[in-house]
Amino acid sequence: MNKAYFRAIFALSAAYLRRFFRDKVGLFFTFLFPLLFLFIFGYLNSGNQDLNFDIALVNQSDSSFAEQFETQLRDNEAFTVSEDAETLDAAKEAMGKGEVDTVIELPAGFGESNDQGQPTGSVIVYYDESSPQAGQTVAAVMEQALEGINTQLGQPEPPLTVTQESTATNELSAFDYVFSGLLGFTILSLGIFGLANQMPAEKKTGALRRLRASPITAGQLIFANMAYYMLIGIVSLVMMFVLAIFIFDFSMQGDWFQLAVWAIIGIILMFGFGLAIGGWAKNETQSAALTQLVALPLMFLSGTFFPRFLMPEWLQAITAYLPLTPVIDGFRMIMTEGANLIQLAPQLGLIAIWTVIIYVIAIRVFRWDP
Amino acid sequence: MTDIITVKKLVKRYGEKTTVNGVSFAVKEGEVFGILGPNGAGKTTTLEMIEALRPIDGGSVMLDGIDVKKDPAKVKRIIGIQLQSTAFFDKLTLREQLKMFNALYNSDSDPDQLLAEVQLTEKQKSYVENLSGGQRQRFSIAAALVNKPRVLFLDEPTTGLDPQARRNLWDLISQIKKKGITVVLTTHYMDEAELLCDRIAIMDNGEIMTIDTPKNLIKALIKRGFKKPQHVEQANLEDVFIDLTGKELRE
Repeated sequence: MNKAYFRAIFALSAAYLRRFFRDKVGLFFTFLFPLLFLFIFGYLNSGNQDLNFDIALVNQSDSSFAEQFETQLRDNEAFTVSEDAETLDAAKEAMGKGEVDTVIELPAGFGESNDQGQPTGSVIVYYDESSPQAGQTVAAVMEQALEGINTQLGQPEPPLTVTQESTATNELSAFDYVFSGLLGFTILSLGIFGLANQMPAEKKTGALRRLRASPITAGQLIFANMAYYMLIGIVSLVMMFVLAIFIFDFSMQGDWFQLAVWAIIGIILMFGFGLAIGGWAKNETQSAALTQLVALPLMFLSGTFFPRFLMPEWLQAITAYLPLTPVIDGFRMIMTEGANLIQLAPQLGLIAIWTVIIYVIAIRVFRWDP
Repeated sequence: MTDIITVKKLVKRYGEKTTVNGVSFAVKEGEVFGILGPNGAGKTTTLEMIEALRPIDGGSVMLDGIDVKKDPAKVKRIIGIQLQSTAFFDKLTLREQLKMFNALYNSDSDPDQLLAEVQLTEKQKSYVENLSGGQRQRFSIAAALVNKPRVLFLDEPTTGLDPQARRNLWDLISQIKKKGITVVLTTHYMDEAELLCDRIAIMDNGEIMTIDTPKNLIKALIKRGFKKPQHVEQANLEDVFIDLTGKELRE
């Protein structure tokens, strides 16, 4: 490792970057595509910034407060209230059939005034055992709604409660899921689609062979590419954050520095996949096939486009170990829960394991020649 | 003159097939050495083993005192390579390419001077993909000279070029030789070999049939009683072509 070693890496990265910025089509796909996705998915999910759940509302109370509460619930964009469930049993049956995600019951006596003349009571949220996430989320949203009323009432002990132990997932917005998923998608497509196409193409034209005729090593070539992809990746992610902040009112809960570190870790991991495919493939036909094989499951099962909690439990359990899942989870946890890197140790551990695996494979299968 | 390259019993196998079968020869410092032979004779494979681009299956190559098998990286620093199918990055100007190669070799050649030497000064801001065949070959030589090599390898430098571009490249190779750089080239054009090369090796089926100066080879053939069937003409069709179209480069 000396000056000459890094001079070659730097020059090669610079050459790649220069070529990249001269390739208008490539620029479009690299930068505008994720932004376009973000715009479309963000727009689709930005209604009330909340998840939309189909609920059955069963109002057993005849207090006027319960009636008001019901009207508010129907107006809430987070919920689509199914109209045809009149009794609790009918509602539960509908949930069993999957027609609604949860059942909300306003029990008899809900909203009746206490001796201070203020409404009290507890909202009951029923959820299916197979999807506790949905129940927790609805309960959390209900709690938020009631908290608003409680605050207005100014009571030290909140008179209105939700009888469902909810965890700390109180700020689950659909946009947060979509955004962290799309950040993952950007890193994935950059690493896998980018490098896995580029290297076989360079092998085919012979450009890589010409480089090999010079004294540069495979290691230098890899570092040069990594620096190049790192830079594009960071620029791309920054653009996405700018769009998220200015158009979708994204508010960052965590630390920007730790987020940047997380992004770099994610890019290094995904770059490894691109390197393994591109370094191995003799031509673009081989790499295209392998890319699809690797990228598609990651794309659809790691929570890029669909949040993983919408999957059946067993599938969630399996997909938790996919390489992109911890990256996306980490993004979301930093951004929405303000998690730090120490709290993300489990995710970090999984990423580390995948990184070691994929780089060992990549270095073993790398070949200069077609 | 000392030998700058010594090749001993070089072997390359691909499965059952032996493409290079025990080739031995030496190249003297400062000469232009030609490897001739039909397609598939093993010229390129031999060259690429010497250039440390292909693993050596048997035998040895010493280049300026360096064992190619043991220290391929060191060899690459002191040689210039023009590959048979010249390929460079697209969307990079000639000047940018040369600067990049400068960095890869950690050398400090002047890109402008290199481009001037191969008459591509006007094209310095063009991309390689927009060059003509002859220009591309000349640029390829410029790129191979970036590290001020001791030996320059040219693999079929004039294949596919028009007569003007070929002559132009011959002039360039002669200039390079004058600077004291040893040149090893492959070709299947006899006129080219006769004109450029101090010594030639004729290869076929992965073996070297003979090595000598072009003059000696012809003399030896005549001595064996060989006679050309047709009478010697004062000019040939290529002379007519060059006479009519001139030696000026067309690109």
